[in-house]
Amino acid sequence: MISNFIPGLIMIITSFLLPTIPQYFRHPAMLLSVGLSALSLFNGYGTFLEWDILGLNLILYQSDSLTLPFAIIFHIAAILVIIFSWHSKNLMEHMATLAYAGSAIGALHAGDFFSLFIWWEATALTSVFIVFAGNTNAAKDAAMRYLIIQVSSGVLLLIGACLMLYQTGNHNLAVLDLKTNFGIFIFIAFGIKAAFPLLNGWLQDSYPESSVTGTVALSAFTTKLAIYALARTFPGTDTLIWIGAIMTAFPVFFAVIENDLRRVLSFSLNNQLGFMVVGIGIGTELSLNGTVAHAFVHIIYKALLFMSMGAVLYRAGTTKASELGGLYKYMPFTTIFCIIGAMSISAFPLFSGFVAKSLIMSSLGGMGMVLIYLILFFASAGVLEHSGIKIPYFAFFAHERKNKVKEAPINMLIAMGIAAFLCIAIGVFPKYLYQILPYAVEYQPYTLDHVISQLQLLVFAIIAFLFLVKFKLYPSEIRSTVLNSDWFYRKMLPGIGKPLFKKIGLLTDSLYKNLGLSFKQVLSKSYKFSNLSYIKVTTPSFAGTILISILFIMLVIVLV
Amino acid sequence: MKKNDLKSMGKSFTKYILIIGALLILLDFTFHRHEYFSFAEIYGFPAFFGFVSFVFIVMLGKWLRKFLMRKEDYYDQ
Repeated sequence: MISNFIPGLIMIITSFLLPTIPQYFRHPAMLLSVGLSALSLFNGYGTFLEWDILGLNLILYQSDSLTLPFAIIFHIAAILVIIFSWHSKNLMEHMATLAYAGSAIGALHAGDFFSLFIWWEATALTSVFIVFAGNTNAAKDAAMRYLIIQVSSGVLLLIGACLMLYQTGNHNLAVLDLKTNFGIFIFIAFGIKAAFPLLNGWLQDSYPESSVTGTVALSAFTTKLAIYALARTFPGTDTLIWIGAIMTAFPVFFAVIENDLRRVLSFSLNNQLGFMVVGIGIGTELSLNGTVAHAFVHIIYKALLFMSMGAVLYRAGTTKASELGGLYKYMPFTTIFCIIGAMSISAFPLFSGFVAKSLIMSSLGGMGMVLIYLILFFASAGVLEHSGIKIPYFAFFAHERKNKVKEAPINMLIAMGIAAFLCIAIGVFPKYLYQILPYAVEYQPYTLDHVISQLQLLVFAIIAFLFLVKFKLYPSEIRSTVLNSDWFYRKMLPGIGKPLFKKIGLLTDSLYKNLGLSFKQVLSKSYKFSNLSYIKVTTPSFAGTILISILFIMLVIVLV
Repeated sequence: MKKNDLKSMGKSFTKYILIIGALLILLDFTFHRHEYFSFAEIYGFPAFFGFVSFVFIVMLGKWLRKFLMRKEDYYDQ
């Protein structure tokens, strides 16, 4: 029985039951539901549940070597988020988080595009409440924009799925290409959630507006679900190599000048997705392993970084770099955990980022793609800049802090501690990670060449930072908004649309006015006419109007 | 006293990083570093590339502020 139960569904059911559970038992219940869902990880590979409906065969639960690593890490992420939010009493957010994680896990196990669509929209509809739970006006506005974009992605997916069914008679998840029209629809649908260049605005718009705990949940699922979907349907699509390379490079510049550290992390998240997308584009066993490994470790260290910034927001009340600094004294554990996350994402040897990124870099090198290799190497220096240095430096060091703050609550420290432990454990013992990857590939990340090369890159980038700070060339933090691709629909379109509609409004107004005026004129004339003395003498004015109308109609009939 | 904390930390951090950097460059001379591309095997290439990339990213980012930076309440207006 349990083996036929869709993974993640138990979490969604539990989330709806949460209001009936007393406050103190909510978090244990949430953990229990994740644990029950995680039993599915031991089911092995195969198709476990299908449903024939409306003449369609929906594959609701299937599992293979690509599903498994994502399913494992989604469960781990769900557990981390629940522990991290243990102190919180925000029922709506807990419900949304649990249902969101459950939907994402369900989506991984969908075997056809229609089931995927249902889960795809479910992740959108559940996660929007997490943005909403940020509980500020900015968060509510961002949530509405987020919902529109996410649902649009789902609609495109549905169009693609319908076209595919119509044209090929098949709707199962399969490798597609960009030569078919349905392939393009599905590609864009995935691209929106994977935050492709210019489709990425929603990510940096909404994630930083969410609550202390909400951002951690958001960072884990949606985008990695899109990476999973791309890896399943578009491996080896050359376009993805370039899209990915641009994704790794361009957010780097935005992250340099962004003031809100959670937004910096959102740009960084975008850059990390770029590495994974490049891996999918190459499409070899090694590179796809690299993508999966990178998604796996990325979820942990990105959650860790968002958790550390969440803790800072919780205690210091802001994550704006211009108002932070010197927290290392008051939040020493958070500082250490944040630095571990920063070193992992920067891919220092012995940390998890190193053992994952190496796979992608090696597959690029093996294919002889010099330019892309250099772009990714360049982007690695960028990762160090914004996530490795900027985040810990401006939050915890930079300058002394005047007013005291408390260390993060114990539950937050436990969640961060687990994530930090995993970052180091995977970095030191990569073979356990490699064992669960989709393809069996012998790979040794710790060669002397590779370690020295990576250390040189990182250490000299740090020296560059020290050099820039020393000569006061490093840009100071300024309270500001950095324009991003959401500008197009937040400023440009309203900028064109509002005056345009106003003009159209004015036009229709004047049209109605003129119409009204001429109507009045006609009326007044007929009134005058009806008031003519000879009619007035013989008939009352109303009857006169009717009489004239009848005469007029008769005249028309005669003429015709 | 308080002010010195961060400063002295920064100083000793700089010192150690410079030492490690120097060691890494020296180490490059002791063995032949195999890379996928021959230009990357030049002595200290990753170090040079890391340094230059970092400076480039920060400087270009700083310059982009001219075009991309708006007031904090830009979208609320």
